[in-house]
Amino acid sequence: MTVSTLKAFLPNPVQNLPGISPPGPGDSDSFANALGGAIGSVEAAGAAAKTAASDLLTGGRGDVHTVAIISQRAGLTLDLFQQVRNKFVQAYQEIMKMPM
Amino acid sequence: MSLFGAISISASGMDAQRVRAETITENLANADTTRTPEGGAYRRKDAVFSSVPMGGTFASALFDASGGTSDGVAVSQIRVDETEPERRYLPGHPDADAQGYVAFPKINPAEEMVDLMSASRGFQANVTAISAVKDMIARSIDLFR
Amino acid sequence: MVMTFANTALDLGNFLSYLSRRQEVVASNIANADTPGYKTRDLPPPQAFSDLLHESSLGAEEISGLPARNDGNNVSMDREARILAENTLRFNLASQMIKGEIRDLKSAITEGR
Repeated sequence: MTVSTLKAFLPNPVQNLPGISPPGPGDSDSFANALGGAIGSVEAAGAAAKTAASDLLTGGRGDVHTVAIISQRAGLTLDLFQQVRNKFVQAYQEIMKMPM
Repeated sequence: MSLFGAISISASGMDAQRVRAETITENLANADTTRTPEGGAYRRKDAVFSSVPMGGTFASALFDASGGTSDGVAVSQIRVDETEPERRYLPGHPDADAQGYVAFPKINPAEEMVDLMSASRGFQANVTAISAVKDMIARSIDLFR
Repeated sequence: MVMTFANTALDLGNFLSYLSRRQEVVASNIANADTPGYKTRDLPPPQAFSDLLHESSLGAEEISGLPARNDGNNVSMDREARILAENTLRFNLASQMIKGEIRDLKSAITEGR
């Protein structure tokens, strides 16, 4: 590999790798959107669990098993989000470690 | 909140059967009472049951998705036997009237005993119901783990 | 991110609600076993549960076929005791199934870690 071909990789190393197309105008939003949506799901699930629990405790409304299922769903949503985020961080770090 | 409501309903059943048992016991104890503070022979008492809606708070009824509230039970009144007492001819008796008749309570101990056993079984059935519901609540709580 | 938390757990959750409601009706029958004129009530049996997925229509209705005593009461303690036990067993089974699903999901998400 000559120095000139190496230089071709330097300015935008990821974008110029074969098989990876440069991000279009809408693409860089979609990851942020996906992440934002995911955070929204986690928050919504958590809020639903809190509301259900307080309705049950203070007003006697609802059933214990329903509140338990809603709480578990909130916990699992958070777990899933954390796992996905960890994977993304891992992948990013792997990419950053690549010798250029 | 079906399960906690169920416990309240069973508890009302226990209360009612307990009052019923106490009433029957009073009848049995006074089966031969010919003189009371109110005058005259003891009059048999009867605990009358009636259904009582136990819907909980209004707020919980709003949220309750079920088609209506279930009924518990309560003793609506202790009915006193107003009919004429039984008259037995016992001229030497301290409570005999001028004709030598003594007024006795209209109580059949055998019938009262059968009634008492029914109250006892009814009480026990409500206890069993509470036990089953408590088990279900415990399993629901276990879903949190 | 779509969180499809075990749709079957949702049906099982509704089934638990149905069993709870039915147990409340049984408790009501038992409490009123000696109330003059009281008629036994019940929900549709579990076999009909798939038609009842929307629990908003869980109205307990008087059932037919039970002989009445002199005071009009038709509660059969045998029947109520049997249904009480059945509800409890079904609740046990369904809640165990839900626990299993939660456990499996958690394991899948965290890959056993």
